[in-house]
Amino acid sequence: MPKMVFIERNGTRKEVEAPLGLSVLEIAHRNNVDIEGACEGSLACSTCHVVVDNDWYAKLPDATEDEEDMLDLAFGLTRTSRLGCQLVITQELDGLTVALPGETRNMLLE
Amino acid sequence: MTEQHEERHSAKAPRQIYLDYQATTPTDPRVVEAMAPFFVEHFGNPHSVQHGFGSYALAAVERARAQIAELIGAEPREIVFTSGATESNNLAIKGAARFHKARRPHLVTLTTEHKCVLESCRRMESEGVAVTYLPVRENGLVDMARLAEVVTERTALVSIMAANNEIGVIQPIAEIGALCRERGAYFHTDAAQAAGKIPIDVQAMSIDLLSISGHKLYGPMGVGALYVRRRPRVRLEPLFDGGGQERGLRSGTLPAPLCVGLGKACEIAGEEMAAEATRLTRLREKLREALVSRLPGVRINGDLAQRLPGNLNLSFENVDGGDLIDTMPGLAVSSGSACTSASVEPSYVLRALGLPAELAGASIRVGIGRFTSDDDIDAAIEQVTAAVSRLRSAGPRAAE
Repeated sequence: MPKMVFIERNGTRKEVEAPLGLSVLEIAHRNNVDIEGACEGSLACSTCHVVVDNDWYAKLPDATEDEEDMLDLAFGLTRTSRLGCQLVITQELDGLTVALPGETRNMLLE
Repeated sequence: MTEQHEERHSAKAPRQIYLDYQATTPTDPRVVEAMAPFFVEHFGNPHSVQHGFGSYALAAVERARAQIAELIGAEPREIVFTSGATESNNLAIKGAARFHKARRPHLVTLTTEHKCVLESCRRMESEGVAVTYLPVRENGLVDMARLAEVVTERTALVSIMAANNEIGVIQPIAEIGALCRERGAYFHTDAAQAAGKIPIDVQAMSIDLLSISGHKLYGPMGVGALYVRRRPRVRLEPLFDGGGQERGLRSGTLPAPLCVGLGKACEIAGEEMAAEATRLTRLREKLREALVSRLPGVRINGDLAQRLPGNLNLSFENVDGGDLIDTMPGLAVSSGSACTSASVEPSYVLRALGLPAELAGASIRVGIGRFTSDDDIDAAIEQVTAAVSRLRSAGPRAAE
Protein backbone atom coordinates (compact mmCIF):
# COMPACT_ATOMS: atom_id res chain seq x y z
CA MET A 1 0.00 0.00 0.00
CA PRO A 2 1.27 3.51 -0.80
CA LYS A 3 2.42 5.70 2.03
CA MET A 4 2.42 9.42 2.56
CA VAL A 5 4.03 11.83 5.00
CA PHE A 6 2.50 14.67 7.00
CA ILE A 7 4.85 17.23 8.51
CA GLU A 8 2.99 18.48 11.56
CA ARG A 9 3.10 21.98 12.95
CA ASN A 10 5.78 21.08 15.47
CA GLY A 11 7.97 19.69 12.68
CA THR A 12 7.26 15.99 13.37
CA ARG A 13 7.22 13.74 10.29
CA LYS A 14 4.34 11.33 10.42
CA GLU A 15 4.40 8.53 7.85
CA VAL A 16 1.05 6.84 7.35
CA GLU A 17 -0.62 4.37 5.03
CA ALA A 18 -2.28 6.02 2.04
CA PRO A 19 -4.93 3.76 0.46
CA LEU A 20 -5.51 4.35 -3.24
CA GLY A 21 -8.52 6.53 -3.96
CA LEU A 22 -8.61 8.27 -0.59
CA SER A 23 -7.99 11.98 -0.31
CA VAL A 24 -5.24 13.52 1.77
CA LEU A 25 -7.97 14.94 4.01
CA GLU A 26 -9.51 11.52 4.60
CA ILE A 27 -6.10 10.01 5.29
CA ALA A 28 -5.37 12.80 7.77
CA HIS A 29 -8.62 12.13 9.63
CA ARG A 30 -7.94 8.38 9.79
CA ASN A 31 -4.58 9.07 11.36
CA ASN A 32 -5.48 11.86 13.77
CA VAL A 33 -3.55 14.47 11.82
CA ASP A 34 -4.84 17.90 12.78
CA ILE A 35 -6.52 19.09 9.57
CA GLU A 36 -9.99 20.51 9.94
CA GLY A 37 -11.86 20.02 6.65
CA ALA A 38 -14.95 21.90 7.78
CA CYS A 39 -16.93 21.44 4.57
CA GLU A 40 -16.01 17.75 4.29
CA GLY A 41 -14.50 18.05 0.87
CA SER A 42 -17.24 19.97 -0.92
CA LEU A 43 -14.92 22.81 -1.97
CA ALA A 44 -16.66 25.36 0.20
CA CYS A 45 -13.81 26.21 2.56
CA SER A 46 -10.03 26.18 2.74
CA THR A 47 -9.57 24.57 6.15
CA CYS A 48 -7.85 21.49 4.72
CA HIS A 49 -5.08 23.66 3.26
CA VAL A 50 -1.75 21.83 3.07
CA VAL A 51 1.63 22.92 1.77
CA VAL A 52 2.98 20.36 -0.65
CA ASP A 53 6.65 19.50 -0.78
CA ASN A 54 8.30 21.24 -3.74
CA ASP A 55 9.32 18.08 -5.53
CA TRP A 56 5.87 16.57 -5.17
CA TYR A 57 3.98 19.68 -6.16
CA ALA A 58 4.89 19.38 -9.83
CA LYS A 59 3.65 15.78 -9.91
CA LEU A 60 0.11 16.67 -8.83
CA PRO A 61 -2.71 17.25 -11.28
CA ASP A 62 -3.42 20.98 -11.63
CA ALA A 63 -5.88 22.56 -9.25
CA THR A 64 -9.32 23.32 -10.66
CA GLU A 65 -10.55 26.87 -10.75
CA ASP A 66 -12.89 26.16 -7.82
CA GLU A 67 -9.98 24.89 -5.75
CA GLU A 68 -7.90 27.95 -6.69
CA ASP A 69 -10.79 30.19 -5.60
CA MET A 70 -10.82 28.57 -2.18
CA LEU A 71 -7.03 28.73 -1.96
CA ASP A 72 -7.29 32.49 -2.56
CA LEU A 73 -8.88 32.66 0.85
CA ALA A 74 -6.48 30.33 2.67
CA PHE A 75 -4.41 31.78 5.46
CA GLY A 76 -0.66 31.54 4.95
CA LEU A 77 -0.99 30.61 1.29
CA THR A 78 2.21 29.55 -0.46
CA ARG A 79 3.16 28.75 -4.04
CA THR A 80 2.77 25.03 -3.39
CA SER A 81 -0.45 25.22 -1.38
CA ARG A 82 -3.29 22.79 -2.17
CA LEU A 83 -6.49 21.65 -0.56
CA GLY A 84 -6.13 18.22 1.06
CA CYS A 85 -9.62 17.18 -0.01
CA GLN A 86 -8.68 17.52 -3.68
CA LEU A 87 -5.53 15.39 -3.58
CA VAL A 88 -6.50 11.80 -4.24
CA ILE A 89 -3.88 9.11 -3.76
CA THR A 90 -2.72 7.24 -6.84
CA GLN A 91 0.19 4.83 -7.27
CA GLU A 92 2.27 7.72 -8.62
CA LEU A 93 1.76 9.64 -5.37
CA ASP A 94 3.31 6.94 -3.19
CA GLY A 95 5.52 8.93 -0.79
CA LEU A 96 3.63 12.24 -1.15
CA THR A 97 4.79 14.71 1.48
CA VAL A 98 2.71 17.62 2.70
CA ALA A 99 3.08 20.02 5.60
CA LEU A 100 0.38 21.57 7.71
CA PRO A 101 0.43 25.33 7.14
CA GLY A 102 1.69 27.58 9.86
CA GLU A 103 4.96 27.05 11.60
CA THR A 104 6.14 24.46 9.12
CA ARG A 105 5.62 26.78 6.15
CA ASN A 106 9.24 27.71 5.76
CA MET A 107 10.59 24.18 5.98
CA LEU A 108 9.27 23.46 2.52
CA LEU A 109 9.75 26.83 0.94
CA GLU A 110 13.35 27.59 1.72
CA MET B 1 -12.53 80.22 -6.12
CA THR B 2 -12.76 83.69 -4.57
CA GLU B 3 -14.12 86.63 -6.52
CA GLN B 4 -10.81 88.39 -6.30
CA HIS B 5 -8.96 85.37 -7.58
CA GLU B 6 -11.37 85.01 -10.46
CA GLU B 7 -11.02 88.64 -11.36
CA ARG B 8 -7.25 88.54 -11.31
CA HIS B 9 -7.26 85.77 -13.85
CA SER B 10 -10.11 86.89 -16.06
CA ALA B 11 -8.71 90.43 -16.29
CA LYS B 12 -5.40 89.32 -17.75
CA ALA B 13 -6.15 86.13 -19.57
CA PRO B 14 -8.86 84.50 -21.62
CA ARG B 15 -10.45 81.45 -20.03
CA GLN B 16 -7.74 78.83 -19.77
CA ILE B 17 -7.80 76.06 -22.33
CA TYR B 18 -7.23 72.72 -20.64
CA LEU B 19 -4.47 70.77 -22.37
CA ASP B 20 -3.22 68.57 -19.55
CA TYR B 21 -5.22 65.37 -20.09
CA GLN B 22 -2.35 63.13 -18.95
CA ALA B 23 -2.51 64.76 -15.51
CA THR B 24 -6.21 64.24 -15.14
CA THR B 25 -9.38 64.28 -17.21
CA PRO B 26 -12.64 66.00 -16.43
CA THR B 27 -15.28 63.56 -15.23
CA ASP B 28 -17.63 62.92 -18.12
CA PRO B 29 -21.13 64.26 -17.30
CA ARG B 30 -22.57 60.86 -18.27
CA VAL B 31 -20.35 59.31 -15.60
CA VAL B 32 -21.45 61.81 -12.97
CA GLU B 33 -25.06 61.09 -13.84
CA ALA B 34 -24.53 57.35 -13.39
CA MET B 35 -22.82 57.87 -10.03
CA ALA B 36 -25.18 60.37 -8.49
CA PRO B 37 -27.95 58.02 -7.25
CA PHE B 38 -25.41 55.97 -5.30
CA PHE B 39 -24.49 58.82 -2.98
CA VAL B 40 -27.93 59.55 -1.55
CA GLU B 41 -30.73 57.33 -2.78
CA HIS B 42 -28.91 54.01 -3.17
CA PHE B 43 -26.37 54.50 -0.41
CA GLY B 44 -26.19 50.87 0.72
CA ASN B 45 -22.99 49.10 1.64
CA PRO B 46 -22.35 46.66 -1.23
CA HIS B 47 -21.17 44.08 1.29
CA SER B 48 -24.43 44.21 3.27
CA VAL B 49 -26.13 41.58 1.18
CA GLN B 50 -28.86 40.71 3.67
CA HIS B 51 -31.06 43.63 2.71
CA GLY B 52 -32.16 45.50 -0.37
CA PHE B 53 -29.99 48.56 0.19
CA GLY B 54 -26.85 46.46 0.12
CA SER B 55 -27.84 44.14 -2.67
CA TYR B 56 -28.84 47.04 -4.92
CA ALA B 57 -25.41 48.60 -4.44
CA LEU B 58 -23.74 45.24 -4.92
CA ALA B 59 -25.52 44.68 -8.22
CA ALA B 60 -24.32 48.09 -9.42
CA VAL B 61 -20.74 47.36 -8.34
CA GLU B 62 -20.79 44.02 -10.13
CA ARG B 63 -22.15 45.66 -13.29
CA ALA B 64 -19.26 48.12 -13.09
CA ARG B 65 -16.79 45.27 -12.64
CA ALA B 66 -18.11 43.70 -15.84
CA GLN B 67 -17.80 47.01 -17.72
CA ILE B 68 -14.16 47.35 -16.66
CA ALA B 69 -13.40 43.74 -17.57
CA GLU B 70 -14.98 44.19 -20.99
CA LEU B 71 -12.65 47.08 -21.83
CA ILE B 72 -9.54 44.89 -21.47
CA GLY B 73 -10.87 41.46 -22.46
CA ALA B 74 -10.91 40.11 -18.91
CA GLU B 75 -13.47 38.25 -16.82
CA PRO B 76 -15.35 40.33 -14.23
CA ARG B 77 -13.95 38.16 -11.41
CA GLU B 78 -10.43 39.18 -12.43
CA ILE B 79 -11.05 42.85 -11.59
CA VAL B 80 -10.08 44.11 -8.12
CA PHE B 81 -11.19 47.62 -7.17
CA THR B 82 -8.56 49.88 -5.63
CA SER B 83 -8.17 53.56 -4.77
CA GLY B 84 -6.32 54.31 -8.00
CA ALA B 85 -3.38 53.32 -10.15
CA THR B 86 -0.85 54.07 -7.42
CA GLU B 87 -2.45 51.49 -5.17
CA SER B 88 -2.89 49.05 -8.06
CA ASN B 89 0.79 49.33 -8.93
CA ASN B 90 1.83 48.92 -5.30
CA LEU B 91 -0.36 45.84 -4.90
CA ALA B 92 0.86 44.23 -8.11
CA ILE B 93 4.56 44.82 -7.54
CA LYS B 94 4.87 44.34 -3.78
CA GLY B 95 2.21 41.63 -3.74
CA ALA B 96 3.94 39.51 -6.35
CA ALA B 97 7.46 40.18 -5.08
CA ARG B 98 6.55 39.20 -1.52
CA PHE B 99 4.59 36.10 -2.46
CA HIS B 100 7.30 34.73 -4.74
CA LYS B 101 10.35 36.01 -2.92
CA ALA B 102 11.68 32.58 -1.97
CA ARG B 103 12.06 31.28 -5.52
CA ARG B 104 11.98 34.41 -7.65
CA PRO B 105 13.64 37.25 -5.78
CA HIS B 106 13.97 39.58 -8.80
CA LEU B 107 11.95 42.35 -10.46
CA VAL B 108 12.44 44.10 -13.79
CA THR B 109 11.17 47.56 -14.72
CA LEU B 110 12.09 50.58 -16.87
CA THR B 111 13.78 53.79 -15.74
CA THR B 112 10.91 55.75 -17.35
CA GLU B 113 8.13 54.18 -15.27
CA HIS B 114 5.84 56.22 -13.06
CA LYS B 115 7.25 57.12 -9.66
CA CYS B 116 4.89 54.78 -7.84
CA VAL B 117 6.29 51.83 -9.78
CA LEU B 118 9.89 52.86 -9.23
CA GLU B 119 9.31 53.54 -5.54
CA SER B 120 7.49 50.23 -5.04
CA CYS B 121 10.47 48.47 -6.61
CA ARG B 122 12.85 50.40 -4.41
CA ARG B 123 10.82 49.37 -1.36
CA MET B 124 11.22 45.74 -2.39
CA GLU B 125 14.98 46.24 -2.68
CA SER B 126 14.95 47.15 1.01
CA GLU B 127 13.27 43.78 1.61
CA GLY B 128 16.05 41.91 -0.18
CA VAL B 129 14.59 41.67 -3.69
CA ALA B 130 16.93 42.47 -6.59
CA VAL B 131 15.62 44.98 -9.13
CA THR B 132 16.81 45.61 -12.68
CA TYR B 133 15.97 49.14 -13.86
CA LEU B 134 16.32 48.86 -17.62
CA PRO B 135 17.16 51.98 -19.66
CA VAL B 136 15.06 52.76 -22.74
CA ARG B 137 16.06 53.60 -26.28
CA GLU B 138 16.25 57.19 -27.49
CA ASN B 139 12.62 57.06 -28.63
CA GLY B 140 11.46 55.98 -25.18
CA LEU B 141 10.70 52.39 -26.14
CA VAL B 142 12.01 49.30 -24.39
CA ASP B 143 14.97 47.49 -25.90
CA MET B 144 13.55 43.98 -26.35
CA ALA B 145 16.96 42.36 -26.75
CA ARG B 146 18.14 43.77 -23.44
CA LEU B 147 14.88 42.82 -21.77
CA ALA B 148 15.30 39.24 -22.99
CA GLU B 149 18.75 39.19 -21.35
CA VAL B 150 17.57 40.23 -17.90
CA VAL B 151 14.31 38.28 -17.44
CA THR B 152 15.18 34.88 -16.02
CA GLU B 153 13.62 31.99 -14.14
CA ARG B 154 14.45 33.98 -10.99
CA THR B 155 12.28 36.94 -12.06
CA ALA B 156 8.96 37.20 -10.24
CA LEU B 157 7.54 40.11 -12.20
CA VAL B 158 8.25 42.48 -15.06
CA SER B 159 6.51 45.84 -14.73
CA ILE B 160 6.41 47.92 -17.91
CA MET B 161 3.83 50.60 -18.53
CA ALA B 162 1.53 50.38 -21.54
CA ALA B 163 1.81 54.11 -22.32
CA ASN B 164 4.07 56.68 -20.72
CA ASN B 165 2.52 59.54 -18.77
CA GLU B 166 5.01 62.17 -19.95
CA ILE B 167 5.91 61.28 -23.51
CA GLY B 168 2.93 59.06 -24.38
CA VAL B 169 4.97 56.31 -26.01
CA ILE B 170 3.26 52.94 -26.28
CA GLN B 171 5.44 49.97 -25.36
CA PRO B 172 5.29 46.68 -27.33
CA ILE B 173 3.04 45.08 -24.72
CA ALA B 174 2.24 41.87 -26.60
CA GLU B 175 5.94 41.15 -27.24
CA ILE B 176 6.82 41.79 -23.61
CA GLY B 177 3.94 39.59 -22.49
CA ALA B 178 5.09 36.72 -24.69
CA LEU B 179 8.63 36.96 -23.35
CA CYS B 180 7.45 36.94 -19.72
CA ARG B 181 5.13 34.00 -20.33
CA GLU B 182 8.02 32.04 -21.82
CA ARG B 183 10.20 32.74 -18.77
CA GLY B 184 7.45 32.12 -16.22
CA ALA B 185 7.54 35.67 -14.86
CA TYR B 186 4.40 37.68 -14.24
CA PHE B 187 3.85 40.60 -16.60
CA HIS B 188 2.38 43.68 -14.97
CA THR B 189 1.52 46.76 -17.01
CA ASP B 190 0.56 50.15 -15.65
CA ALA B 191 -2.20 51.07 -18.08
CA ALA B 192 -3.31 54.24 -16.31
CA GLN B 193 -2.67 56.27 -19.47
CA ALA B 194 -3.50 53.56 -21.98
CA ALA B 195 -6.76 52.01 -20.81
CA GLY B 196 -9.65 53.39 -22.78
CA LYS B 197 -7.30 55.18 -25.17
CA ILE B 198 -5.80 52.27 -27.11
CA PRO B 199 -7.08 48.70 -27.52
CA ILE B 200 -5.88 46.36 -24.78
CA ASP B 201 -6.56 42.63 -24.57
CA VAL B 202 -5.10 40.82 -21.58
CA GLN B 203 -5.35 37.47 -23.36
CA ALA B 204 -3.80 38.42 -26.68
CA MET B 205 -1.09 40.42 -24.90
CA SER B 206 -0.35 37.81 -22.19
CA ILE B 207 -0.87 40.34 -19.41
CA ASP B 208 -1.07 38.95 -15.87
CA LEU B 209 -1.64 42.18 -13.93
CA LEU B 210 -2.88 45.54 -15.23
CA SER B 211 -3.48 48.83 -13.42
CA ILE B 212 -6.29 51.25 -14.28
CA SER B 213 -7.00 54.73 -12.94
CA GLY B 214 -10.47 56.28 -12.91
CA HIS B 215 -9.56 59.91 -13.38
CA LYS B 216 -7.34 59.31 -16.41
CA LEU B 217 -10.27 58.06 -18.46
CA TYR B 218 -13.01 60.53 -17.59
CA GLY B 219 -14.05 58.70 -14.44
CA PRO B 220 -13.82 59.95 -10.86
CA MET B 221 -10.64 60.44 -8.85
CA GLY B 222 -10.06 58.10 -5.93
CA VAL B 223 -10.88 54.84 -7.66
CA GLY B 224 -8.95 52.44 -9.85
CA ALA B 225 -8.67 48.76 -10.57
CA LEU B 226 -6.15 45.98 -10.80
CA TYR B 227 -6.68 43.14 -13.22
CA VAL B 228 -5.43 39.91 -11.61
CA ARG B 229 -5.27 36.89 -13.92
CA ARG B 230 -7.13 33.78 -12.75
CA ARG B 231 -5.86 31.22 -15.30
CA PRO B 232 -3.10 30.44 -14.60
CA ARG B 233 -3.72 31.91 -11.18
CA VAL B 234 -1.68 34.95 -10.23
CA ARG B 235 -0.92 35.00 -6.51
CA LEU B 236 -0.25 38.17 -4.57
CA GLU B 237 0.31 38.96 -0.94
CA PRO B 238 -2.32 41.59 -0.09
CA LEU B 239 -1.30 45.01 1.20
CA PHE B 240 -4.31 45.34 3.53
CA ASP B 241 -5.74 42.96 6.10
CA GLY B 242 -9.43 43.13 6.82
CA GLY B 243 -12.72 41.66 5.80
CA GLY B 244 -11.35 39.75 2.83
CA GLN B 245 -13.22 41.69 0.16
CA GLU B 246 -12.08 41.54 -3.47
CA ARG B 247 -10.98 37.88 -3.33
CA GLY B 248 -8.99 38.68 -0.22
CA LEU B 249 -6.66 40.87 -2.27
CA ARG B 250 -8.05 44.22 -1.16
CA SER B 251 -9.98 44.39 2.06
CA GLY B 252 -12.14 47.42 2.74
CA THR B 253 -15.64 48.59 1.88
CA LEU B 254 -16.00 49.32 -1.81
CA PRO B 255 -16.97 52.91 -2.64
CA ALA B 256 -20.06 52.01 -4.67
CA PRO B 257 -20.54 55.44 -6.35
CA LEU B 258 -16.90 55.52 -7.45
CA CYS B 259 -17.02 51.94 -8.69
CA VAL B 260 -20.13 52.74 -10.71
CA GLY B 261 -18.37 55.79 -12.14
CA LEU B 262 -15.29 53.83 -13.14
CA GLY B 263 -17.46 51.20 -14.80
CA LYS B 264 -19.42 53.78 -16.77
CA ALA B 265 -16.21 55.54 -17.79
CA CYS B 266 -14.82 52.26 -19.13
CA GLU B 267 -18.02 51.53 -21.02
CA ILE B 268 -17.98 54.94 -22.73
CA ALA B 269 -14.27 54.70 -23.48
CA GLY B 270 -14.73 51.31 -25.10
CA GLU B 271 -17.58 52.50 -27.28
CA GLU B 272 -15.93 55.71 -28.41
CA MET B 273 -12.27 54.72 -28.50
CA ALA B 274 -11.82 54.20 -32.24
CA ALA B 275 -13.51 57.42 -33.34
CA GLU B 276 -11.89 59.40 -30.54
CA ALA B 277 -8.43 58.13 -31.37
CA THR B 278 -8.84 59.30 -34.97
CA ARG B 279 -10.07 62.70 -33.86
CA LEU B 280 -7.33 63.22 -31.28
CA THR B 281 -4.60 62.10 -33.66
CA ARG B 282 -5.83 64.67 -36.18
CA LEU B 283 -5.81 67.44 -33.55
CA ARG B 284 -2.38 66.50 -32.30
CA GLU B 285 -0.91 66.36 -35.77
CA LYS B 286 -2.42 69.73 -36.57
CA LEU B 287 -0.74 71.18 -33.50
CA ARG B 288 2.57 69.47 -34.12
CA GLU B 289 2.76 70.36 -37.81
CA ALA B 290 1.89 73.98 -37.14
CA LEU B 291 4.49 74.40 -34.40
CA VAL B 292 7.25 72.60 -36.29
CA SER B 293 6.64 74.65 -39.44
CA ARG B 294 6.34 78.00 -37.65
CA LEU B 295 9.16 77.63 -35.14
CA PRO B 296 12.75 76.48 -35.62
CA GLY B 297 14.43 74.34 -32.97
CA VAL B 298 11.41 72.26 -31.97
CA ARG B 299 12.05 68.70 -30.89
CA ILE B 300 9.40 66.00 -30.40
CA ASN B 301 10.27 63.83 -27.40
CA GLY B 302 9.45 60.16 -27.68
CA ASP B 303 8.45 58.01 -30.61
CA LEU B 304 5.81 59.69 -32.75
CA ALA B 305 4.33 56.57 -34.35
CA GLN B 306 4.02 54.45 -31.19
CA ARG B 307 2.24 57.10 -29.20
CA LEU B 308 -1.04 57.90 -27.49
CA PRO B 309 -3.28 59.90 -29.83
CA GLY B 310 -3.69 62.70 -27.29
CA ASN B 311 -0.08 63.29 -26.25
CA LEU B 312 2.58 65.64 -27.50
CA ASN B 313 5.82 66.36 -25.66
CA LEU B 314 7.96 69.13 -27.12
CA SER B 315 11.28 70.76 -26.36
CA PHE B 316 12.02 74.27 -27.63
CA GLU B 317 15.70 75.07 -27.93
CA ASN B 318 16.82 78.02 -25.82
CA VAL B 319 13.52 78.26 -23.97
CA ASP B 320 12.89 77.25 -20.37
CA GLY B 321 9.77 75.11 -19.99
CA GLY B 322 8.72 76.82 -16.77
CA ASP B 323 9.13 80.27 -18.33
CA LEU B 324 7.17 79.15 -21.34
CA ILE B 325 4.24 78.02 -19.22
CA ASP B 326 4.29 81.32 -17.33
CA THR B 327 4.20 83.16 -20.64
CA MET B 328 1.07 81.32 -21.78
CA PRO B 329 -1.52 82.03 -19.08
CA GLY B 330 -4.30 81.01 -21.44
CA LEU B 331 -3.08 77.44 -21.72
CA ALA B 332 -3.18 74.80 -19.01
CA VAL B 333 -0.24 72.59 -19.99
CA SER B 334 2.47 71.09 -17.86
CA SER B 335 6.21 71.28 -18.15
CA GLY B 336 7.88 67.98 -18.71
CA SER B 337 9.53 68.48 -15.39
CA ALA B 338 8.93 66.75 -12.13
CA CYS B 339 8.43 69.33 -9.45
CA THR B 340 9.94 68.36 -6.16
CA SER B 341 9.13 70.29 -3.03
CA ALA B 342 12.22 72.45 -3.19
CA SER B 343 13.07 72.79 -6.85
CA VAL B 344 12.10 72.03 -10.39
CA GLU B 345 14.39 69.38 -11.74
CA PRO B 346 14.42 68.26 -15.35
CA SER B 347 12.18 65.28 -16.01
CA TYR B 348 13.87 61.95 -15.29
CA VAL B 349 11.86 60.49 -18.15
CA LEU B 350 13.29 62.94 -20.67
CA ARG B 351 16.77 62.52 -19.23
CA ALA B 352 16.38 58.76 -19.72
CA LEU B 353 15.89 59.40 -23.45
CA GLY B 354 19.32 61.02 -23.45
CA LEU B 355 18.13 64.62 -23.53
CA PRO B 356 20.60 67.06 -22.01
CA ALA B 357 19.31 68.93 -18.96
CA GLU B 358 18.70 72.15 -20.87
CA LEU B 359 16.50 70.44 -23.47
CA ALA B 360 14.72 68.36 -20.86
CA GLY B 361 14.01 71.58 -19.01
CA ALA B 362 12.81 73.23 -22.21
CA SER B 363 9.90 70.90 -22.66
CA ILE B 364 6.15 71.04 -22.31
CA ARG B 365 3.61 68.26 -22.30
CA VAL B 366 0.40 68.90 -24.20
CA GLY B 367 -2.45 66.53 -23.38
CA ILE B 368 -5.42 66.56 -25.73
CA GLY B 369 -8.68 64.83 -24.87
CA ARG B 370 -12.41 64.33 -25.16
CA PHE B 371 -13.40 67.94 -24.65
CA THR B 372 -10.63 69.54 -26.73
CA SER B 373 -11.94 71.33 -29.82
CA ASP B 374 -10.38 72.52 -33.07
CA ASP B 375 -10.69 76.06 -31.74
CA ASP B 376 -8.69 75.08 -28.67
CA ILE B 377 -5.89 73.74 -30.84
CA ASP B 378 -5.94 76.86 -33.04
CA ALA B 379 -5.62 79.02 -29.95
CA ALA B 380 -2.82 76.83 -28.59
CA ILE B 381 -0.89 77.14 -31.84
CA GLU B 382 -1.09 80.94 -31.68
CA GLN B 383 -0.18 81.16 -28.01
CA VAL B 384 2.75 78.72 -28.09
CA THR B 385 4.18 80.32 -31.21
CA ALA B 386 3.92 83.82 -29.75
CA ALA B 387 5.34 82.81 -26.37
CA VAL B 388 8.33 80.91 -27.77
CA SER B 389 9.15 83.73 -30.18
CA ARG B 390 8.90 86.30 -27.43
CA LEU B 391 11.09 84.37 -25.00
CA ARG B 392 13.72 83.73 -27.66
CA SER B 393 13.87 87.35 -28.75
CA ALA B 394 14.12 88.47 -25.13
CA GLY B 395 17.18 86.29 -24.67
CA PRO B 396 17.92 83.41 -22.33
CA ARG B 397 16.30 83.48 -18.90
CA ALA B 398 14.63 86.80 -19.71
CA ALA B 399 11.37 85.83 -18.14
CA GLU B 400 12.86 85.29 -14.70
